[in-house]
Amino acid sequence: MKILVCISNVPDTTTKIRFTEGNTSVDTSGIQWVINPWDELSLTRALELRDDPSSGVKSVTVIHSGPASAEPVIRKALAIGADDAVRIDSPSGDAYSVAAGIAEVVRKEQYDIILCGVESSDYNGSMVGGMIAEFLEIPSVSGISELKAEGGNVTITRETDGGKEIVSVPLPFTGIVQKGIAKEPRIAAMRGIMMARSKQIRVYEPGPEEALTGIEVFEKPPARGACKFIDPDNPEQLIDLLQNEAKVI
Amino acid sequence: MVRQIIFAISLLITIAVFSWTAGRIISYFRLTKPGYKVQNPGKRFLLMMKVAFGQTKIFRQPLTGLLHALVFWGFCIIIFGSIEMVIDGLSGSEKALKVLGPLHDFLMAAGDVFAVMVAVSVIVFLIRRIFMHIPRFEGTEMKRRSHRDANISLSLILLLMLSLIAMNTGYTGMKRLSGEEIAGVYPVSWFLSGLFPAGRTETFRIIHEISWWTHILLIFFFANYLPWSKHFHVFLSVPNVFLSRLEPRGKLSNMDSITREVRLMMDPETAFAATSPDTVPERFGVRDAEDVTWKNYFDSLSCTECGRCTSVCPANITGKMLSPRKVMMDLRARMKEKGPMMIRNGKDYNDNRSLVRDYISGEELWACTTCNACATECPVNIDQPSLIVDMRRYLVLEEASAPGELKAVFSNIENNGAPWQYSAEDRLNWSNGLDFKVPVMADLHAGNEKPEYLFWVGCAGAFDDRYKKVARAFATILNHLNVSYAVLGREETCTGDPARRAGNEMLFQMQALQVISLLRDYGVRRIITICPHCYNTFRNEYPDLGGNFEVISYLGFIRRHIDEGRLVPASGRADGRAVVTYHDPCYLGRANGLYDDPRIILQKLGNDIEEMGRNRSRALCCGAGGAQMFKEAEKGKKEIFIERTEEALRTGAPVIASACPFCMTMITDGLKYKNREDEIKNLDIAELVAQSLGY
Repeated sequence: MKILVCISNVPDTTTKIRFTEGNTSVDTSGIQWVINPWDELSLTRALELRDDPSSGVKSVTVIHSGPASAEPVIRKALAIGADDAVRIDSPSGDAYSVAAGIAEVVRKEQYDIILCGVESSDYNGSMVGGMIAEFLEIPSVSGISELKAEGGNVTITRETDGGKEIVSVPLPFTGIVQKGIAKEPRIAAMRGIMMARSKQIRVYEPGPEEALTGIEVFEKPPARGACKFIDPDNPEQLIDLLQNEAKVI
Repeated sequence: MVRQIIFAISLLITIAVFSWTAGRIISYFRLTKPGYKVQNPGKRFLLMMKVAFGQTKIFRQPLTGLLHALVFWGFCIIIFGSIEMVIDGLSGSEKALKVLGPLHDFLMAAGDVFAVMVAVSVIVFLIRRIFMHIPRFEGTEMKRRSHRDANISLSLILLLMLSLIAMNTGYTGMKRLSGEEIAGVYPVSWFLSGLFPAGRTETFRIIHEISWWTHILLIFFFANYLPWSKHFHVFLSVPNVFLSRLEPRGKLSNMDSITREVRLMMDPETAFAATSPDTVPERFGVRDAEDVTWKNYFDSLSCTECGRCTSVCPANITGKMLSPRKVMMDLRARMKEKGPMMIRNGKDYNDNRSLVRDYISGEELWACTTCNACATECPVNIDQPSLIVDMRRYLVLEEASAPGELKAVFSNIENNGAPWQYSAEDRLNWSNGLDFKVPVMADLHAGNEKPEYLFWVGCAGAFDDRYKKVARAFATILNHLNVSYAVLGREETCTGDPARRAGNEMLFQMQALQVISLLRDYGVRRIITICPHCYNTFRNEYPDLGGNFEVISYLGFIRRHIDEGRLVPASGRADGRAVVTYHDPCYLGRANGLYDDPRIILQKLGNDIEEMGRNRSRALCCGAGGAQMFKEAEKGKKEIFIERTEEALRTGAPVIASACPFCMTMITDGLKYKNREDEIKNLDIAELVAQSLGY
């Protein structure tokens, strides 16, 4: 079995996002880029399966769609333990064109499991996984919180509203994973870091589909107001504020 | 003549067996890795005179210390008599060293007296071991063998002393009766032989002859028994002290193989040119006996299992699995197991076992707070923490294995430059609301200004809500003094201390080289720190990576300004003198020897210091060092911070002063746990100083 893990290159979660060009573009200066946390967890689970001989998983490849500036993050994935890496040299962040590009690579290279994080922490589109499955006309399972493989058979636990669902699925399929699929992300071992430095990242031309969407303008959520502390001996003030300032009671 | 031949044969056998043993042990040393270079013989000699011959560290426990010192000094004196016996035995002479005259008299007299004192001490030791329950002699690593080994060695020493006294008694008795001249002075034995005025010369002669042979043959046996027992320390402890690491305890060794990697990574231009396979070590960190340095192995052979290290280990005291003594014993045992096989079957021999995991578990290794209490206590200067960190280095660098919380800390340091997930852009938020502006290095640099000091705030000062107040207090003091300083603000990042102590040398060095290059660009010469961990890293560890700065702890800075009269705290209080207790942070105290500055400052502020039971070099760690701050404690009976807080509360002082962000967090938590946070205050010294200045 071959696993393909799709990884997004996203700003570190502590980044203060700023926009340029009239709020139509993200200011990337000084941003520390990381592997999208959900993708990192699916990569971790994929590697766990590969390292377990009984799983039947032979190799883990990571794929990223984006410019060469994302290479440090791809190398990080190699350092953590991915066997191989592919980059689609596409400038587009549009889900449709990204998914089409990845589907094209899957067609050529034949993967059995394609894993995507449920969303990327930058644009939160939550679309690529489903679209890949659609392009390839293969099953797609979402909300995966547990992924087991034994001798080539895959069992999946899905989070549903207020419960769990255990499903099996024929290969190949696209899996869209939630947090919980792995306990914590792997860290890179020294030899992984050393190996990753010289490993080849295979580059593909952009996929067949043009972007369908574009960004008009970005807007930040309103800043949170300061927190007011009220003395526990003064409930009247609390009621007054809730009634007249917050207008909630 | 027959006597001489028999003696020569026994001596030859002794030397032959001993040489064979020594050869074996040397061949084990050949399996180990190079460590630091042994330089500075003068300093080492003084250290050896003080710690080994002066027994200074043994005296940290005065009573048993005295008994041990008597045994040690006794051995040093009695050995002259033994040398004389060897000369006599070979040449057929009697008291050959009497040519030394009065010196001989003195050595014989001292040996005679010491023999009794050693015998008495050893009897006390045996009673303690056999009849009294001494907690320090127990523990998972203390198997029946260890106890038997101790008792055999002590009994042998006792027999040696008894035979020596008997020999001297026989000698003085026979000489007294025959009226011959006595070579040497023997106060105790003279008295003893005098108790038998009716004895015959012949009887005394036989007593002398039998005990002479018993004594010398016991010495021969003892010399060859020792290397196979924990009492090898009789031979090795003095050289072990001479060979001790001379650097401050807080310093960890630099992994040069990692420096190479990090430099390649930071400067990819030179990357591929410099990578050659032979520069890559076969293993990062310590996994098995052959990965340790010669000094680690020397340490393990010098350990006599006294357990002083384990008895002061905060992890062990609170019921965790870690025992520094066990670490040393395990290394010794593993080498004994694997060494011979490696010599027989080659260096690649593999028995599918290893020191890490099969002997020492991850749980033990991750319980260490790197507080250095063990190394400080060890009477023969064994360095346990560095070996523990080397094993953590193996786990992290080779296996990418670490407790989950620490993996998150690694990611945070790598991605946002702090152990916690905060944006570097918020690094100056602590200064919001101060009625003066905290100067930022980049701004001053833009205006071509160069401040005298860099105030290194540290991640806790920048992000920890409680410690932000300390950063504010110290900035207030700097401002009050009108000192030329600046902070780095958003350019500051983690020094790498928690990563290094958690075994992630790669991440530590990435941080370190980044910080050093930034500080160089700004031409920084003097750094003031409030966090002891940052202080230790800058002062002791950055020089290995080319970062040489004058590093000043804020305590030293404040004290100097008080001493020089520039800082005048309101001395004395309206309500009389205040009482505080002071918790020594490990990375100021044991790691760097800073015990006096905080106490003097507290006194100048008009405080009486009510010391805790364990203070100064004996202070108990708060439980947060060695990256423990960022993880759950390993399984145990009690949390270390509760143990320490209880000790602080027992002083009755209404204020617990400390000088470290992690100690602050732990003790504040302890006070909350004990429901005492309303009445007892946990304050940093900077806050107390700022208060006394009226801020």
